Amino acid sequence: MILTPMEKNIDASIQDEFKTALHQAVDEGHNKLILDLSHVKFLDSSGLGVMVSTVKKLGNTGVLAFCGIQEQVAHVFSLTRLDRVFNIYPNKQVALDALATPVEDSTPKGEL
Amino acid sequence: MEGDLYIRLGYTMDAMYRSITRHLAYSLGVEPSRASQRDIYLALSYTVRDRLLEKMLKTSRRYEESGSKRLYYLSMEFLIGRSLANNLRALNLYDKVAEALELLGTDVETICDQERDAALGNGGLGRLAACFLDSMASLHMPGFGYGLHYDYGLFEQDISNGYQREKPDSWISEAPALQVERTDAACLVPMYGRIEETKDKWGRSNPSWQGWNLVTGVPYDIPIAGHGGVTVNPLRLFAARPSTEFDIKIFNEGDYLRAVEQKIESEKISKILYPKDSYEAGRELRLIQEYFLVACSLGDIVRTYEKDHRDFNKFPEKVAIQLNDTHPALAVAELMRILVDQKWVPWEKAWDITNRTIAYTNHTLLPEALEKWPEHLLAKLLPRHLQFIYDINQQFLDRVVSLWPGDMDRMRSMSIVEEGPPRQVRMANLAIVGSHSVNGVSALHTDLIKTALVPDFFEMWPERFNNKTNGITPRRWLCVANPGLHDLIEEAIGPGFVTDLERLRDLEPFATDSAFCERFLQVKKANKERLKDVIFNTAVVEVDPLSLYDVQVKRIHEYKRQLMNVLGIIWEYLALVEDGVEPACPKTYIFAGKAAPGYWAAKQLIKLVHNVGNTLEDDPKVKGLLKVAFVPDFRVTLAERIIPAADLSQQISTAGFEASGTGNMKFALNGALTIGTLDGANIEISKEVGRDNIYIFGLTAYEVERMKRKGSYKPRRLYDNNPMIKRVVESLASDRFCKREPGLFAWLKDYLLADNEMFFHLADLEAYVKTRERASKEYVNKTLWAKKAVLNVARVGYFSSDRTIRQYAEEIWDLLPVLPTEDEKIGSLEYTPGDPVPIATAKDW
Repeated sequence: MILTPMEKNIDASIQDEFKTALHQAVDEGHNKLILDLSHVKFLDSSGLGVMVSTVKKLGNTGVLAFCGIQEQVAHVFSLTRLDRVFNIYPNKQVALDALATPVEDSTPKGEL
Repeated sequence: MEGDLYIRLGYTMDAMYRSITRHLAYSLGVEPSRASQRDIYLALSYTVRDRLLEKMLKTSRRYEESGSKRLYYLSMEFLIGRSLANNLRALNLYDKVAEALELLGTDVETICDQERDAALGNGGLGRLAACFLDSMASLHMPGFGYGLHYDYGLFEQDISNGYQREKPDSWISEAPALQVERTDAACLVPMYGRIEETKDKWGRSNPSWQGWNLVTGVPYDIPIAGHGGVTVNPLRLFAARPSTEFDIKIFNEGDYLRAVEQKIESEKISKILYPKDSYEAGRELRLIQEYFLVACSLGDIVRTYEKDHRDFNKFPEKVAIQLNDTHPALAVAELMRILVDQKWVPWEKAWDITNRTIAYTNHTLLPEALEKWPEHLLAKLLPRHLQFIYDINQQFLDRVVSLWPGDMDRMRSMSIVEEGPPRQVRMANLAIVGSHSVNGVSALHTDLIKTALVPDFFEMWPERFNNKTNGITPRRWLCVANPGLHDLIEEAIGPGFVTDLERLRDLEPFATDSAFCERFLQVKKANKERLKDVIFNTAVVEVDPLSLYDVQVKRIHEYKRQLMNVLGIIWEYLALVEDGVEPACPKTYIFAGKAAPGYWAAKQLIKLVHNVGNTLEDDPKVKGLLKVAFVPDFRVTLAERIIPAADLSQQISTAGFEASGTGNMKFALNGALTIGTLDGANIEISKEVGRDNIYIFGLTAYEVERMKRKGSYKPRRLYDNNPMIKRVVESLASDRFCKREPGLFAWLKDYLLADNEMFFHLADLEAYVKTRERASKEYVNKTLWAKKAVLNVARVGYFSSDRTIRQYAEEIWDLLPVLPTEDEKIGSLEYTPGDPVPIATAKDW
């Protein structure tokens, strides 16, 4: 499932909404999520917290991949060293290809 | 294309006039014929800024094309003072603007006087940074100042009944005409939060800094023009802004006020410059300020580097970072964090890069001024940086242990983390460990760093320690401050010496040329007349320009010993009124300086100076032979008025306490003779000008140190055995100088007579007074005095900040100038677009 937030800022102001959307997707049984962040210009620690909690919620049985990340979001990922944990792809197609294989065979996952 | 870009700018008188009137109308919305002096000042500033920006863009292009190494000077303070007159002289526009302003019915001095000082510093350290910027631009070096864009600079000093009162100093109204905002280069600074232990995709430990708050750093560039106006470098100052305009969540909850409060909270970071000696007051905010500067600067430096480089192998070859004191020492941890966490550089490699890039200048030997931050504060504010500090310390201590196995005392004293309680992080140790160069700012100071401050570090890394004696820019401290003397020197030895100050040596033969000396004294007299008016208008004291102007202007601090100066005045006063001994010549003692708001003893000294001055003024027996004036609100602009008028310069700190001093250099360059101790750069000044041309007295640093170590200083013995000293001290204990506030200065007797009194006031007093007497006697002999004064000017070329910067560049930074092309030098300097219409006067406009 590909989720594409249309908000420019993922911060405290939309934290609850954002969390609901992501967790709902997991609850509905989607275990391969792609978060397309190509519209997101600003991510703060609460937005990041939602992403972390979603990865945790998926556990070993699923994967949250990221694509289309912009400069500031990339900066936040590297600042937190989560770029070493998350699966990040340059665009949707590459992400889709990577996730086409079974979860356990796809790129190694970090541990949160 | 480039020609088109800059086509509107001319540098003739006509062009200046047009630009000023255009800015009056279209930037300020003011009809030129009705413009106030303030309006004209602003319009002229914008006019100059246009040209500075043109030069800055061209300089930037030149640096980019050369691919040369860049130097970043990180400093919490840049005491730039006023800019307009300095820029006009740098761009060779002063005379043309003077003519243009005449057409507007005013004059250039009046207009330049409208500018408020940018007081973004406390004293020597900040002014040094400003002088360095001037020198780097004048030497065509890619050197950039990075600092904070404080809303409020150092407080404005008011005097009420002899007491200092502090008022906020908002220079920000000046700023728009000086700077450009660079929102495109804004950076996000994380702070607070926690470390989550995670595992990366390869199963390795991966500490993750999460839960931080973000603050935005918005850069403002102030163009700094080098001499000749060809090279213009930016001084980049960062202002703190919220990362989003308002916290929308709070805003949406309807709590508008709380949302605004949050915004204000972020902006607090760059709101105010902390006065020195008052860091304790806002401890956490001060640490945040230091980190904010470091994070914004490093972010910007790395981003600039990455424009041309794909990896960090060449970082130390392309980037040099100088830490102005320990205030930006977190740069060591921040650069490590960026390289290791964000750029995936292995730790050892990152450490090598960091160490080869950063250098540290020490500015103080005072133990209380050596910064330490509680570990818990760092853990709260910068949890990830603290981890890096621990790792750096561990690696460093492993090395110490391998060199000195079992030497626990050494390990304890060298450790970056000081055992508690409370455990604290020693910023000087962090800076030394993280830098490839550690320098002091005068020969004596560097020696004391090696032998007394951090001898263990010197033993470990002797090659790391070096001296860079401070300097001052002759453009500001001669050309702008004392144009009369500049012109006289130029007439005597020809042009060019302001960029090659050692050429002042050519002036030596003129020291015995009576016609030259006569004119030299005339220039001094004119400067003294000018200062007389300033003193009358601000301190309401009428002084005689024929008297000896004996000047001590600097921050008020016990170690600088303004108190000893006052004791000397009281000594002379009592000799006059009780013994009938007149001074050799009428004397005016001029003081100026600010005391940190929380520094009680320093504030009492200001009151004492006033009260002694009033007592002398009211005593008919003094007959005007002795005067004391305290000129309020000491700042760069006031220094520019006072220093050229001084006959005698007081540099009387307790030996071993003043790192360098730069005031001493400014006075000597302006033809004042120094009376001073063998402290800081006084020693080197003495060597340069010759012992016959300076008045040296007092204990040496090593004598002071020995007495301290032995605990052998007993001032009461001096008091008991010397009736003159006793009389001076007793006069303070009595109410002679505080009739309306009995007992006000009684504490000074206990203070001065305490065993091992920190600053050795009475130990040096007699020698000081005798040396002053000698100076006064020599002052009466005008030929002798002029000769000595001229020799001082002739022999202080070494103290140009150009020399200092060349030494930093060659010996620490490995930085080369990027010289302008011939085209750039002639460039559009004289270009004026053809305009058939004759210029309109303001009236016709």
